[in-house]
This record gives sequence, C-alpha cells and structure tokens, in this order.
Amino acid sequence: MSAQEWVALVFLIAGCFFYLAGTIGLLRFGDVHSRLHALTKADNLGLMLVCASLAVLAANWRITALLVLTWLLGLLAATVSAHLIARHARRVEK
Amino acid sequence: MAASDVGKRSISNRQRLVWIGQTFVLLALTWLALNGLDGWWLGLLAASIGSVAGGLLASGQPHPWRPHRLLGFAGFFLVESFKGGVDVAWRALRLDLPINPEFHRYRIDLPEGQPRTLMISVISLLPGTLSADLSDDGEELVVHTLMPGAMASVERLDARIRRLFSLDSPEANNE
Repeated sequence: MSAQEWVALVFLIAGCFFYLAGTIGLLRFGDVHSRLHALTKADNLGLMLVCASLAVLAANWRITALLVLTWLLGLLAATVSAHLIARHARRVEK
Repeated sequence: MAASDVGKRSISNRQRLVWIGQTFVLLALTWLALNGLDGWWLGLLAASIGSVAGGLLASGQPHPWRPHRLLGFAGFFLVESFKGGVDVAWRALRLDLPINPEFHRYRIDLPEGQPRTLMISVISLLPGTLSADLSDDGEELVVHTLMPGAMASVERLDARIRRLFSLDSPEANNE
C-alpha cells in the first residue's frame, strides 16, 4: 500500500470510530438533548474525517471541493435538525 | 428626511451590493466545483440571478463578511468542531458517563440576519453546547450544555462572529 492509501485508511478508521462513539452516546445518554449532542458533534467529526480520507485518495481539487461542500451540507442538515428536535422536545416537556 | 437617514441608506445599499458580490463569487465557485468549466456561461447566469435575488429578497439587513477573516473563522470552526467531537466521544465511551446537562439562557446581541443565524447554527457544533430554543422575539437563546463551563465557548464564538462581520464589540451580556 502506498503512503497515500495509509493516510486515507487512518482517516477512514478515525471517522468510523467517531460515528460509532456518536451512536454509543445516542444509546447511553439519558435525555433527548444530551443525545443530540452526541449525534451532531461526533457525526460531524466522523463525516469530516471520512471526507478527508476520500479527498486524500482522490488527490483532485474538484473532488476535494465537492467533498467540502458535502461536509458543509451535512453540517447544515445536522445543526438545523438538532435545533428543531431540541426545541420541540423542550416545548413538549414544559 | 434628515441627512443622517440618507447617509444610513447609502451605506446599507453599498453593503447590499458588497453582499451580492460575495454571494455571486460563492455561487460561481460552487458551480465550478459541481460542473467544471462546461457551460460556464450558464453558471455565471445562474450565479448572477441567485445572488441578486438573494440580495433583494432576503429579509433584514445584509451583512457582508470580511474575506480575509473568513479563513480565521474557518480555522476556529475546524478546531472547535474537532474538540467538540472528541469531547462528546470521550464522554460517551467513559464508563462513569461524565455528563451534567443544564439549560442556560443567553442574550443575543448580534444583529438579525446572517450573524445571528450563524451563531445559532454553529453553537450546536461547539464542544458541549446545543442551541435548544429561541424566544419568540429572537433575542434570547436557550443553550443546553453537557458540562459546566461550556458557555465560555459561546462567548468566544460571539466575538469571532463580530470580527467576521466587522460589528461593534459586545456590551453587557449573559447570565
């Protein structure tokens, strides 16, 4: 395996680790809001690392730009949906 | 109409033009990434229509950002979201589950529009904070924190956003 593939592999494994940790947090944390912390932040980092891994493998500026765009859209979806779920949960609890 | 009103309006029109220009560049770059140079004239047309429509139809005052400060903000965001992910992963995997959830109220002094929206969106990606609710007048944010002391990063974010949009420094804040 080339050095490039090794770097990509490390990023990919790290990304999967954060997805796994986020899911464990989702299962272990006790309330809706704490669970959202685990989902948004750990998955954001997981997606970032998976995208970084693919960018290293592709070694192409256009694909890298698309991966950055993918990550930003993922972030936007995560943060907006987390806010909406958190708001709903809080208003129902009241 | 007082002279100061006229001055204010021309500043706001100039800001709007700058904002349209910045949005145009971003949209054109997005087209370039998605499509390369194929049909570039269509991309320029779409980017022009999109940025002008956004500038005219967007509610509130457009706030142009400082391009050279965007890089600093992006760096801040990368580091903070990395710390946020590592922190929450560590808490999820520890056997004793070290979380101590609380709600805090935070008074938003940032102007409406992009600065406020950016603030509310990014809070959820900082270590230990989640934007949970917004009061009906949009002035007060309810922040859910995972551990004591997490609110400090919200204040740093506030200062970063002020620098990005060249806004005045904050006044009295917070509870």
